[in-house]
Amino acid sequence: MRTESLIRKLGTHLLLLILVFINLVPLIIVLSSSLRSPRNMTNPLNWFNEFTFDSFISAYTRMHFPIALWNSMVLTSVSVVFVVLLAAMAAYPMARIRSRTSKFLYIFFLAGLVVPGQMVLIPIIQMIKSLGIPLGQYTPILMFITCSLPFSTFLYTGFVRSSVPEEIEEAAYIDGAGLMKRFWKIVFPLLLPVTVSVIITQGVWIWNDYFFNMVFITKTLDAPLPVAMLGFLGDQQNPAQWNVLFAACILCALPLLLMFFALQKYFVGGLTMGSVKG
Amino acid sequence: MNSAVMKKTMYFFVLPALLFYCIFWIFPILKLFQYSVTDYNGYVQNFNYVGFNNFKTLFQEEVLVTSIKNTLVYTAITVILGNIIALLLALLLNANIRAKGFYRSAFYIPTLFSAIVVGFIWSYVYMPQEGLIASFLAKIGLTNWDTNFLGSYSKALYSIIAVDIWKNIGTSVIIFLAGLQTVPHELLEAGKIDGAGKWKLFRFITLPMLATSVTINITLSVINGLKAFDFPFIMTNGGPGISTNTLIYAMYKMAFTDQLFGKASALGIISFAIIIAITIVCVLTLNKKEVSA
Repeated sequence: MRTESLIRKLGTHLLLLILVFINLVPLIIVLSSSLRSPRNMTNPLNWFNEFTFDSFISAYTRMHFPIALWNSMVLTSVSVVFVVLLAAMAAYPMARIRSRTSKFLYIFFLAGLVVPGQMVLIPIIQMIKSLGIPLGQYTPILMFITCSLPFSTFLYTGFVRSSVPEEIEEAAYIDGAGLMKRFWKIVFPLLLPVTVSVIITQGVWIWNDYFFNMVFITKTLDAPLPVAMLGFLGDQQNPAQWNVLFAACILCALPLLLMFFALQKYFVGGLTMGSVKG
Repeated sequence: MNSAVMKKTMYFFVLPALLFYCIFWIFPILKLFQYSVTDYNGYVQNFNYVGFNNFKTLFQEEVLVTSIKNTLVYTAITVILGNIIALLLALLLNANIRAKGFYRSAFYIPTLFSAIVVGFIWSYVYMPQEGLIASFLAKIGLTNWDTNFLGSYSKALYSIIAVDIWKNIGTSVIIFLAGLQTVPHELLEAGKIDGAGKWKLFRFITLPMLATSVTINITLSVINGLKAFDFPFIMTNGGPGISTNTLIYAMYKMAFTDQLFGKASALGIISFAIIIAITIVCVLTLNKKEVSA
């Protein structure tokens, strides 16, 4: 009986290891090729046959890595802060007031989830110009905030309804706390688990988005990491450029990967928020 | 609830978000309806109203039918195959084994890569001759296989669908795993004592308990599939020919490459109608299932 379950466990591990290997093989090749010198043209299937950071250095300068990284950090953090504040505030009345208006608002926001950003983009360039908003490095932030609202308000509303008891607020009301105070001092701090979830789910897509950035940002030195990657477009057809291209891919993904390994617990918890409780 | 505590003035909290949402999300969609009956080209502001001409030309062109078909195939495969694979992986990972976190992370890692990086990496994987798959096949001696994945009319669409599944499966696995952890052990034990086999345990205990995660995963992947844009844009440019055009990609190209904003808006309206119709059907069906489960 015991050996049987041991064999079973080993079998599961073996199966999982094979699946993980198949899943990650493209990334392993990318890593091994990025560690070659740019002119090493041996078949990428010969793993790790050279160790040098030459390709990384070349990619680093070509994509203006420190500047692109800084741009990504600014774009993502500013957007996420606004998303958290706006979405948490919007969710509060939608969760607390039981009326047709509040139900309508909830569905109105949620419906935005099905709208593709590319569709909105056709009129938006024109609109942004006529509103007098300057086109440039920070214009994508407007789109990031808006695009994140449907999912974030959905998460926040669900959480306020299910996990922030109204009694706490009643107590505060009796103690004479106004609406503002009640929200910012009592409700908002209690929303921390969803706030983490919003920061992670929305932060990851904003960090990785190339589309809005590509449309609005025209200067090389304004570009965040994914747009800096666009400079390598075309290189994927040319095997002579692969090592540098792959090094750039690794550099582009590295910040988020490090973040993930440092904060794994929060990533997993953040992703499942709202999916278990419903 | 005490309406003295939850006053109507609370609605002021919604205003900032609502303002953003209406200006940058809702109003543009309304604008799209207006543009769809004009010959607007994106630059010259005095455009003419041309009635339903844009729609008429679209209905005569091959690109509409092809992109609708491709979008539906894309969605169907990513939803069905993606979720089945994710569920199987989650079931495997839910076994009582060590290093669960390691395996989970290994499946989740591709999700963290920007679509543009994923596009680059998989363009290499699919390259004819020098690519990962081609050189692997050559190494094990299978040289007569056709390895031109992205350049082939019949294979390009399925090749980019596979990339989409690879990139997004990690999220679904994590959501399924969280769902599996809510299945009470006692229930499974009771089922076993009553003599239920593995399949029956899964079908009548695990699956109904997973209803919420299934709903979330299917809804998200339906929406994701209907909005498919990234991989046709980065990997194939909709080609070869128009064989990997999805609705959103075709619309984008019409607007920004061909400078036909009016016609692109008309295509946008058609896409919008299709996306909304399918999403509503899905949500209603899933809700019904979830309640009855």
